[in-house]
Amino acid sequence: MKFIVNTNQLLNKLQGVSGTIVSKPVIPILDHFLFDIKDGKLTITGTDLETSMSTSLDVQSDEDVRIAIPSKMCLDTLKALPNQPVTFTVQVDKNTIELKSEFGRYKLIGQNADDFPKIPEPTAENSFNMSSGVLSSSIAQTMFASGNDELRLSLTGVYVQLFQDNAVFVATDANRLVKVERSDVKPGVESNFILPKKALNLLKSNLPQDDTECKVDFNDSNAFFTFGDVSLICRLIDERYPDYKAVIPTENPNKLSLNRQDFLNSVKRISIFGNKTTNQINIKITGSELTISAEDIDLSNEAVERLGCDYAGEDMEIGFNSKLLIEMLQNISTPDIVIELSTPNRAGIILPSKNIDDEQLLMLIMPMMIASAS
Amino acid sequence: MSKTIVHMDLDTFYVSVERLIDSRLVGVPVLLGGVGDRGVVASCSYEARTFGVHSGMSMKMARQLCPQGVVIKGNAGTYSKYSKTVTEIIKEAVPVLEKSSIDEFYMDLSGMDKFFGCYKLASELRQRITKETGLPISFGMSINKTVSKVATGEAKPDNQMKIDFGDEKPFLAPLSVKKIPMIGKKTAFMLNRMGVQKIHTLQEMPLELLEKAFGKNGKMMWQKANAIDYSPLIPYHEKKSISTERTFMKDTIDVVKLKNMVIAMVEQLAFELRNGERVCSNISIKLRYSDFQTVSKQKRIPYTAADHTLIQYASELFDSLYSRRVRIRLVGVRLGDLAGGGHQIDLFNDDDRVISLYQAMDKMKQRYGANAVRRSVAMEVTGLGRGNPFSGEPNVVPAHRNA
Repeated sequence: MKFIVNTNQLLNKLQGVSGTIVSKPVIPILDHFLFDIKDGKLTITGTDLETSMSTSLDVQSDEDVRIAIPSKMCLDTLKALPNQPVTFTVQVDKNTIELKSEFGRYKLIGQNADDFPKIPEPTAENSFNMSSGVLSSSIAQTMFASGNDELRLSLTGVYVQLFQDNAVFVATDANRLVKVERSDVKPGVESNFILPKKALNLLKSNLPQDDTECKVDFNDSNAFFTFGDVSLICRLIDERYPDYKAVIPTENPNKLSLNRQDFLNSVKRISIFGNKTTNQINIKITGSELTISAEDIDLSNEAVERLGCDYAGEDMEIGFNSKLLIEMLQNISTPDIVIELSTPNRAGIILPSKNIDDEQLLMLIMPMMIASAS
Repeated sequence: MSKTIVHMDLDTFYVSVERLIDSRLVGVPVLLGGVGDRGVVASCSYEARTFGVHSGMSMKMARQLCPQGVVIKGNAGTYSKYSKTVTEIIKEAVPVLEKSSIDEFYMDLSGMDKFFGCYKLASELRQRITKETGLPISFGMSINKTVSKVATGEAKPDNQMKIDFGDEKPFLAPLSVKKIPMIGKKTAFMLNRMGVQKIHTLQEMPLELLEKAFGKNGKMMWQKANAIDYSPLIPYHEKKSISTERTFMKDTIDVVKLKNMVIAMVEQLAFELRNGERVCSNISIKLRYSDFQTVSKQKRIPYTAADHTLIQYASELFDSLYSRRVRIRLVGVRLGDLAGGGHQIDLFNDDDRVISLYQAMDKMKQRYGANAVRRSVAMEVTGLGRGNPFSGEPNVVPAHRNA
C-alpha cells in the first residue's frame, strides 16, 4: 500500500514524538516509530514504556496499514531532503518501507506493528481541562527546582495537587522549593500525583503557549495529556511526596523588599569569588543596608557588595548557595521581590512583590550553616 | 642557576622539649611514646639509641632493650607550641619556608649569597634558635631538598654541614642506600638482595634497570642517588582530608564499644570541619583485625558537615565492613573531598533546632575545648582532639595513644 506526505510536515511531527525515544532501548522495537494509517489519517507513536507520545496528520492513502519504522534512519532521511512530497510504499508481509523522492528510492526494514508495545488508554476515571499555556508556564516555573537524586525518587518530579477550583504545582530538591498555585485551573476533583521529569520536558517543548485546551486524564498509575493533535501518556512516580507544607515556615517576621534585577546582578558578581563547590554567599542585613559577600578560603578570593533595600526586622546574617538563589531569581518575572526571613537556620521565602493574575508563586531556599550565626 | 636549599631538623625534638621542662631527664636515656604494651616509641634520646632503641619500635621491646630508660607519655600540645616558636624565628630570617613536619624545615636561600652569605645566615639562624628556645637543631645545606636532608642526617646531633656545589655525588656515594629519604626497610632489603648496599652502586646502575625493578619509584630513586631533585618548596600545606584513628589497649569484639568509638570520632571530625568552615563529600572507615588484616571502605555522599548525617553514613559503612568474627585492633575514620563553605541545610532531613544545637555546642567547644560537651555514647573516649587541622601546619605525629 502507498501514502503520500509532505517531508517538512512529517518531519515536524516526528521530531516531537522522537523526544520519547531513548538511544539504547531495552527492547529493540522501542527505537521505532509506530505508523498507523486509518481513513487517510497517519498516527505516529513513540514510547520508552514509561512515557509515550502520539500525534497525527492527514495523508493521501489508499488503504489502512500499521508498521514500525526505525526512527533514526527515518528522521535522518527526511532531514536530508528538501521540502517535497514523498511516497511511502509499505509491504506489511515483508516489513519493508520504500520512500520515493524526486531524487530516487530508499528502502528500509521495519518491524511488525503487532510487536509494538500497547500504549495505555485513558480510562475516564478523572479528567479536567486546562489551558496549555498555563500548564506550560507552571511546569517551567517549577521544574528547575526538582531534584536529581535517584535515592529520593519522589523529589525528581513535579508534584501536582488538584482541588475543586485550583491546582498547585510543587517541586523541591530538599534545598529549595517552588510552589505555584493556579486559581484559573478548575479540576473539579481532589487528587494528586507526581509527574516524572521526562514527561515534563516533553510537555514543556510540545505544549503550545496559547490558550489551546489541554485535556488531562489520570488514574493511579498514568496521566494522559491531550492537546491539539498530540497526546502524551506518562507513568506517574509511585512514591509518597513529602509533606512540604509542614516545612514552609509561616512565621517570618523579617521582611526584605528589593529590586530583583539589581539583587540578581549583585549575587552573580559576588558568586564568582565564592567557593566553586559549595557556592556559598553570605547576606548581612543591617538597617536598610544589605551586604552580600563571598570568600574562597582555599584560594583567598573574596568580594563584597552593598545594596540599598527596604527592610523591616532584626539585623541578621544568613548564608545561601548562590547557584540556587540565581536560578530562583531568574524564574520570577516581577521587577520587585520580597524575601521573608526568620532566623539564619530557617528557610528564606522569596515572593514576587505582587502576584500576577491567577498565579500565586512561592519560592523557598534553605540557608547554609554559617559559623558566626548565633 | 643552582639553588641553595637548607634543611633544618630539631634533634630528638620531643625529648629535647621534655628536657627543657624537666632538667632531670638530661643525660639519661629517655623513651617517649605510648606507655602501654601496645605503644610505639615516638622519639628517644641519643643515650637510649646506644641500647639499640629507635623510633617506631614497640615500647615493650624498647623497655626490654633499655630497662633503665625513663618512659614518658608526651604531650602533643606542648610540642606544637615549641614548634611554632621555632617556626616564628625561622620565618623572620628566610624568604621561603616549608614546614614539612613538626620538627623539620626546608628553606630556600637561593640568591641570598650576594647579600648575606647563605652558610653564615644558616649558621647564625641555628645558633639563634638554640639560644632563644634552648632546643638543639641541626642543618644541612646543598642544592636540593634530598641532598640537604641527607646532609642533616649526617651532621646530627647538634651540628651543621655544607655540601659544596659539585660535591653532591661524591658526598652521597659512600653512604648506605637507606639514607635516601624514599628508601625504607622494604626497598632497602630488595636493593640489598640485588647486591646494592651503597648509594655509589645506585649511581652507577643504568636507569632502565631500576625502572624495570621498581617502576616509577625506580626512576625517582636513581635521580635522588644522583643528587637530582627538582621538587619545589611547598610553603602551605592544604588539607585534603581529616582523619583520626585509635588502637585499642586490648583487641575487642564489643560492637557497642566499637560503634561508640566511631561515633566519637565522627563527632570530633565534624566539629573540626565546621570549625574550619569546611564540608566533606567522602567518608571512609578503616578497621584492623587482630591478625593485622586491614580493611577500609569509603562512600561518596552529598556535601555535609552535620553530625547526624555523618554518623549515619559511618555506622552503615561500619556495619558493612565489619564482617569477620575476629577481634578488632584499630578503628579509624576519615573525611575527605573537602570544600570550603557551610553545611547546606536540608529541607526534610535537618531540623533548625538541631542546627542551632550544633552551633551552640561548637561555641562551647571553641571556648572550653573539644571535650566540653559531647554525645553521651562518646563520653568515655578521650584525647581525640588536636586543635585546628586547617591552620596550614603539618600534622603533629602524636605519641601513639591507646584506648
